[in-house]
Amino acid sequence: MSEPLLEIRDLKVHFRRRQINPFAASQVVHAVDGVSLSLAKGRTLGLVGESGSGKTTVARAILRLVPVTEGSIRLGDTQVEQLSDQELRKKRGSVQYIFQDPYSSLNPRVRAGDIVRSPLDVLAIGDKASREARVIELFEAVGLRPEQRALFPHQFSGGQRQRINIARALAPDPELIICDEPVSALDVAIRAQILNLLQRLKRDRAITYLFISHDMAVVKHMADEVVVMYLGQIVERAPRRAFFSAPRHPYSLALLSAVPDTRAGAGRSAKRILLSGDPPSPIAPPTGCRFASRCPIAEPGCHEQVPPLRTIAVDHTVRCHRVDRTGG
Amino acid sequence: MSATPLLAVEELSVEFSSRGRAAHVLNSVTFNVRAGETLGIVGESGCGKSMTALAIMRLVPSPPGRISGGRIALNGEDMLPVSDARMRDIRGNRIAMIFQEPMTSLNPVFTVGSQIVEALHRHLGLSGETARRRGIELLKAVGIPLPDARFDEYPHQLSGGMRQRVMIAMAIACEPDLLIADEPTTALDVTVQAQIFDLLRSIQQRRGMGMILITHDMGVIAEMTDRVVVMYGGRVVENGATADVLAEPAHPYTRGLLACVPVLEMGDEDEPAELPEIAGVVPSIFDLQAGCPFADRCGVVVARCRAEMPPLVQFGDGHRVACWQREETRT
Repeated sequence: MSEPLLEIRDLKVHFRRRQINPFAASQVVHAVDGVSLSLAKGRTLGLVGESGSGKTTVARAILRLVPVTEGSIRLGDTQVEQLSDQELRKKRGSVQYIFQDPYSSLNPRVRAGDIVRSPLDVLAIGDKASREARVIELFEAVGLRPEQRALFPHQFSGGQRQRINIARALAPDPELIICDEPVSALDVAIRAQILNLLQRLKRDRAITYLFISHDMAVVKHMADEVVVMYLGQIVERAPRRAFFSAPRHPYSLALLSAVPDTRAGAGRSAKRILLSGDPPSPIAPPTGCRFASRCPIAEPGCHEQVPPLRTIAVDHTVRCHRVDRTGG
Repeated sequence: MSATPLLAVEELSVEFSSRGRAAHVLNSVTFNVRAGETLGIVGESGCGKSMTALAIMRLVPSPPGRISGGRIALNGEDMLPVSDARMRDIRGNRIAMIFQEPMTSLNPVFTVGSQIVEALHRHLGLSGETARRRGIELLKAVGIPLPDARFDEYPHQLSGGMRQRVMIAMAIACEPDLLIADEPTTALDVTVQAQIFDLLRSIQQRRGMGMILITHDMGVIAEMTDRVVVMYGGRVVENGATADVLAEPAHPYTRGLLACVPVLEMGDEDEPAELPEIAGVVPSIFDLQAGCPFADRCGVVVARCRAEMPPLVQFGDGHRVACWQREETRT
C-alpha cells in the first residue's frame, strides 16, 4: 500500500489552565497524550470515546485550531505542525470539518448558496461563474434543490442543514473531511439519510473521512478502521471487522455493550458491562492504566504500570495488561 | 387488568393557533399507563411526543396552545378541570418530569441542594436539617458519590451525567406515582446513558411507580419499556406491548424507525451496507392535510390514505394500528 494520506505521530496537546491564585502552580490539562495514527486515502477512520476522551482535540489539532504541544502531523506532503499562519491559511482547503450541531454551525444571516460558496471565495478557487456552477453541482450532490440556494438556514430542517454543511465541506475539494459527531443532533430517521449520503459521497468521490462519534453502531456503519480513545490516549485500534467481531479492550467492550439495540431486547441490559462513575480528570491522569479505576477486570498491578500499546494481530493493537491472559 | 389505570389519556387534542390559523398538535391521543409499568412514546421531533408530556403536566404554553378536547385522568381523577393551584400540588408531587437537557433545567445560581429542598419544602413541608438530610439521602439514592459535599455545589461543578442524576433526585423527591422522562439521555454519552437507565429501572422497581419514557431511539424502547406508543403527526399510529410491536411492527412508520437504525451485530458484509431510510421529513403541523399524516413518506401508500385518516384498530392482544394497508389485508 502507498503512503497514508494522514499520519499523526505521538501527538500531545496540553492546555495550561489558568489559576485564580497567581502564586499557585498552574495546572496542565492533558487533553491528548501521545496519539499516533495513520489514515490511507479513501478510507474512513472511526474515532470513538466518551466526552473528554480527546477525540475532538485530535481533530482540531489536524486543523491547527489548537496548538500542538508535541509530535507531528503529516497530511499529504505537508508537515501541518510546522506551517506558518500564512501557509496554513492556504492549506485550509485541504481539510474540511463537519460539525455536530447543524443549527449553530451555519450563519443565520447568510443564504445557503453563499454559505456553500464561501470556501471557494476565501480560497479564491475559480472565477465567479465556475464557483456558481460548483455550488449548483454540490447542492445536487447532497440532495438539495439548486433553487434552495437563495434560502436562509432557518428555512431548512436539521437534516437539510447538515446537508448544507456537507456541501460546504465538499466545496474546496478537500483531501480529508473531519466529521465530528455529524448525526448526533439528528433524529434517527434523518440520521440514516445523512449516513447514507456520506457513504455515497465517499464511494463516488474517494473521500477520506475522520469520523468522530461516541455511537458504536454509527461507527460500525461508517468506518473501515476503528480507534478507541480514553482520557487522551488510544486504547485500541483495529480494522472494522476485527473490532466489531472481537473487541479486546475492556473499555471497547463497555462502549459496545452500552448501545441499546432492538434485536437484543430487554435481556441485553442484564449482560451489560456498566461502567461506574465518570472518567478521571485529565489534569492529573492516574498513574498506571488510565482506565483502571473504572475497569471491571483491573488487577492491583494495573494501577501502577502504564500498559503499552501492543500488537495482538495484524493491524490490531490494544493497550491493556490483561488482554492476552483473558483470552479476549 | 385493574379497573382504573394510573394514568388514562383519552382522545386528547391540543390546538395551537398562529396568525389566525389553528393546527392540531395532538389529535385524539389515547393511551393508558398502569402502575409499575413503563410506557414508551417514540417518534421523530415534531410528532407530538413532548407535547403529550406537557399536556399531562398541564404545561402546554398558552397562548398559543390549548387543550381543545379529551380527558386526562390520574388514578381516576379528571385532571383537566382541576384548578391551577391544585395542579401545582400535583405537579412535582404525584407527577414528576425529567427533561432532556440537564444543564438548562437546573438553575445555575442555586446549589443543587437548595433546588432539591425546594420540592421537599413545597410539597412535604420539610425544612432545615430534616430537609437537608432527606436531600442528601436522595443524592445518595441516585448514586452520586460524596453526596454531603455535592449537596452544596452548583450545577456547573457537576458533569452531564451527575446533573441528570440530580434531576432524577428532584423528580423522585416526593415519591411520585408517575414519572415522565422526556429524552433523559439524549445529551449524554452512551456509557452514561446506560447508567441512567439502570438507575431509573431500579428506582421504578423499588417504588412501583409508573413511567413514561419519551425517546426517538427504538433501541431504548426495546430495552426499557413494557408497552409502546408510536406517534406521528400528532397522532398515535401504533401501540401495543413492546415485544409485539418489535416482533411484528404493523405501521410502515414503525417499520421504518426500526429499520433505519444501524445495528451492532457483525454481519457477513465487508463494506457497510446502505441503511434503509424513511425519505422526507416530518411535516409541519400547519401543513397537515386530510388523511394519514405519513402518506407522503410512506412506501405502501394507496389513494385512500390521502383522503381519509385510518382509525386506530385493534388486531392482536392490545396491539393497535392506524393504517389502511392493515385494514385492507384484514378484510
